[in-house]
Amino acid sequence: MGGKKNKNKAENTDIQQTLEASRRDFLKKAGISGAAVLSGAAAVLAGYRHEKSKNKGEFVKVLTTDNKLVKIAAEEVEGYEPGLKELQKRGREGIPGKKWVMIIDLSKCRNARKCIEACQSAHHLRPYEYHINTLVMQESVNTPAYFMPKPCQHCDNPPCVSVCPVDATFKRQDGVVLIDNERCIGCRFCIAACPYSARMFHWEEPVNAQADKDKEYDIELNVPQKKGTISKCLFSSDRLRENQLPYCVSACPNGVYYFGDENEDAVTNGTTKETVKLSELLKQNGGYRLMPELGTQPRVYYLPPKNRIFDFDQDKPREEDLII
Amino acid sequence: MKSNRKRSVRFRRRSISLLVLALLVVVPVISQEWLVPADRQGRLSTFAFNDSIEKAGLQLYNLNCLSCHGNPGKGNYQQLIPPPGDPATEKIQRNRDGEIFFKIMEGRGQMPSFKNTLSSGDIWAIVAYIRSFNSGYVQTVMPEITSGAYPGALIAITLRLAAEKESVIMKVSAIRDNTSVPVVGAGVKLFVKRTFGLLPLDEEKITDDNGMATFGIPPDLRGDTTGNIRVSARFTDEEKFGTAAKDTVLQAGLKVIPVSLVKDRAMWNTLRKAPWWILLSYGLGVILVWGFIIVVMLKLRDIFIIGEFTEKENKREA
Amino acid sequence: MNAETKIPGLETEKIDRIASDILRPVRINKVFIIWTAFLFIALAVCLYVYTIQLRKGLIITGIRDFTSWGMYIANFVFFVATSLVGMLISCVLGLIGFKWITPLSRIAEIIAVAFAAIAGLVIISDMGRPDRLPYVFLHARVQSPILWDVTVVTTYFVLSLLLWFFPLIPDIAVAKTRLKGRPAFLIRIYEILSFKWVHHAEQYKILRQAVKILILLIIPTALAIHTVTSWLFAVNPRAGWDSTIFGPYFVSGAFVSGTSALIIAMYFFRTNYRLKDYITDFHFERLARLLFLVSAVYLYFNLNEYLVPAYKMKKFDAVHIHELFTGDYALLFWVTQTMGLILPLILLLFKRIRRPLPMLIIALFMFAAAWLKRYIIVVPPQGHPYLPIQYVPEEWMVYRPTLMESAITLASFLLVLIIITLLSKFFPVIPIVETAHEEKENEIK
Repeated sequence: MGGKKNKNKAENTDIQQTLEASRRDFLKKAGISGAAVLSGAAAVLAGYRHEKSKNKGEFVKVLTTDNKLVKIAAEEVEGYEPGLKELQKRGREGIPGKKWVMIIDLSKCRNARKCIEACQSAHHLRPYEYHINTLVMQESVNTPAYFMPKPCQHCDNPPCVSVCPVDATFKRQDGVVLIDNERCIGCRFCIAACPYSARMFHWEEPVNAQADKDKEYDIELNVPQKKGTISKCLFSSDRLRENQLPYCVSACPNGVYYFGDENEDAVTNGTTKETVKLSELLKQNGGYRLMPELGTQPRVYYLPPKNRIFDFDQDKPREEDLII
Repeated sequence: MKSNRKRSVRFRRRSISLLVLALLVVVPVISQEWLVPADRQGRLSTFAFNDSIEKAGLQLYNLNCLSCHGNPGKGNYQQLIPPPGDPATEKIQRNRDGEIFFKIMEGRGQMPSFKNTLSSGDIWAIVAYIRSFNSGYVQTVMPEITSGAYPGALIAITLRLAAEKESVIMKVSAIRDNTSVPVVGAGVKLFVKRTFGLLPLDEEKITDDNGMATFGIPPDLRGDTTGNIRVSARFTDEEKFGTAAKDTVLQAGLKVIPVSLVKDRAMWNTLRKAPWWILLSYGLGVILVWGFIIVVMLKLRDIFIIGEFTEKENKREA
Repeated sequence: MNAETKIPGLETEKIDRIASDILRPVRINKVFIIWTAFLFIALAVCLYVYTIQLRKGLIITGIRDFTSWGMYIANFVFFVATSLVGMLISCVLGLIGFKWITPLSRIAEIIAVAFAAIAGLVIISDMGRPDRLPYVFLHARVQSPILWDVTVVTTYFVLSLLLWFFPLIPDIAVAKTRLKGRPAFLIRIYEILSFKWVHHAEQYKILRQAVKILILLIIPTALAIHTVTSWLFAVNPRAGWDSTIFGPYFVSGAFVSGTSALIIAMYFFRTNYRLKDYITDFHFERLARLLFLVSAVYLYFNLNEYLVPAYKMKKFDAVHIHELFTGDYALLFWVTQTMGLILPLILLLFKRIRRPLPMLIIALFMFAAAWLKRYIIVVPPQGHPYLPIQYVPEEWMVYRPTLMESAITLASFLLVLIIITLLSKFFPVIPIVETAHEEKENEIK
């Protein structure tokens, strides 16, 4: 009995030793492979840095009239068409020094829906696919009904961006919330998160897919649109880059929209092109934002539907018109 | 005689006030009458209307007016309240040129103002187009440009900032043959250039006897990072004084240092700008759990080694 | 001494008897071939439907811009929920020290492995661009609950697989010499997977350590998978989802669906694998008590989740409550709550009910109700957003699942059945060595 125990004990120490030896061997191997992984990672990082430095502004060589070959920044060449890389880079950075802001004067909207048409034609959407939509609103039975154009609110605390798993939707330094449909995986978490129902999804092939097939993707226009990805209002970032008002703003026949730069404290009406002080416009008309209790801090302000110069009920669509 | 006149004046006054009262009641409801101030009614185009101007007017009309007023003469205007009306009808054609010009320029109610979108030349072209539907119309061209007051002179506008930076002082002069004469009684405006348009600074001013006008600067006017603002001075009545304008930069605004909206760490920012606590807790959690998983998997190795060892031992014993 | 190694402290006869009982179903017979053929053919049909979705886009489903998460996501939540049973049985009850879980723990782990594995696939079927799945890792944003969910579901799957496999190693060693007449590939697999197990005391020590670590890791991970899954909804500012108790509410609901899944599986193995001696009426009795406990907790969370907003009737909460209690979803809601929760709770009080067949019926009801409940949690809150739904095609207003998306959802169930079938057919579903030990302990007593 005792002998057996001893034998067991001896065997156990043997086992311990074998295990120890194999562990040391393993650690050595692990060390070597670890070093290999580390150096590999370093190489990848170095390559990434190199790529990045290469990417810092594109340059082209041009021949001047006096036959000199000079190197200048690509953007400065007239007729320069930026490639996808450049479009993505500048689209993600935004326009420095700007803080875009939109004012919607509800007292002027009579549901002409010209803003929607202009938007849909610019962004290649179907009539029922909205970046901006005009809604018939009524808070309660005794309060008046009114029309409310509703673009993306471009929140400063955007719930949709928080939940995106792949950085496909993002906020830029100038406040615009964009969607990169080269990145979007189509999980639609952002649709679930947006309290303003401001986002849409391409359930099927987009309407101009065939015609847009060979176009370079412009993140600031979101064209070509892609099946299986999100699309949304972009504050017409492509127009802003050229110091022009957004498509919807310039298309309104009724002077509903003002758009401008908060840093300049000035907004310009899209219909009359009249420029006014942002702070004064909000102060004098009692400007407000949608659902402030959610803390989303929109960049879109509304002026209340007071003193309307038209008869709402005459313009009001019938219930069945609300459904296409 | 005197008292009679007085009475008639009083009577007229009363009737006017009655009329105004009636208008106040009627205008919002049917909005028929649109009165143009007397001094603006007689305004005339400085050039004669011809085919090419009417053609330009057609294009401008189609861009800016067609959506509500329809094609002139067709009566296919939008059914709005109040109705926009067909410009070819007698109701609109009986307006004087200056009245049509004023209405396009200023707008009213649902009709937008075009003073910031169309130049006066553009508006006259639209008037020309509208008039082309009126066979009985005979144009009167403005007989003489009043800037003949300073014939052949070069109009110069200078702007400078008052010492306390609370106002901009404008001086307008006409220069000819090295002599400078102040331009007196000219309507002038001062604007700040903003991204999408011109923001009026103060109200319209009339130059004084020295050709000077002073524009107040609001204390909260925002400039760029150094407080500079780009300003632009113009004449209100460009037909009279020409399109002379002065664009310059003045250090009259507040210094505004733009702040990037994505500079802070936040839940909605990119991975690089994620809050520290979430990076740490996610990273540590994953490392901890997967570290243990690897430890457990390595135990399979130990089990295998023991088995191999024991088998060898058994074989040796056998 | 040949390949047959003696297990310390156990008689060979006892092992022989138990092993032959438990290994009896481990063979390829006609029924198995017909059943798997049926599963794979049905799966092929459903996968064909999925290729249509890949080609045409999610337009073939009923989800649209407003209700953009439908049956797929509800199904995903249900799968994650059901997989939690592995943690409940093997870890919680095991740690507390209940001995009667021994024959059930492996079945629970098989369910956990199968449902956790397929949950990941279900989520892919909901993606608009499944080809971009690698982006979830390449461009990961650590702030997104989706990344947390992907991380914890993967982790839980690996942990469950390990917890299924580790205690299986001694059984594989026992079985590998007792597989006469089985296909050669199976014997070969057993040889590899036995990891040269020789029933050495040191090996048992390492095994116990590994299992202890796994159990301690699984409990927080399992809580995390369902809490994080509940956060996919609770982080959104939307009436009906905007709730602080969603985490525990989901976890308690998960125990209900998981326990009913276990009861269904137990009943099936007991009758089809002829294991009446191992999975006894006593085990059903115990599980009935467990089911009562978890259902009572779930009922308690239901009360909190619905009665508190129903008391205040805040603007949008009121719309949601009306939809569920008296509106479009009323029938579904009340059937689910009564047939799947309240009625079973009452029935479980009776001893006569706490027997295999009645328990199977109750479990089937509760299992179906658990699926419908996920649908009720996921779908209705999207139908009434803060701003009205206007100027859209009529079929966008209300979500109706299509036949095609039902077929794709069915595929996930077929896959789960395939995994359960393979794992339970090729490996012993009841621990052989542990059962033998337990029998011996009982004899000594």
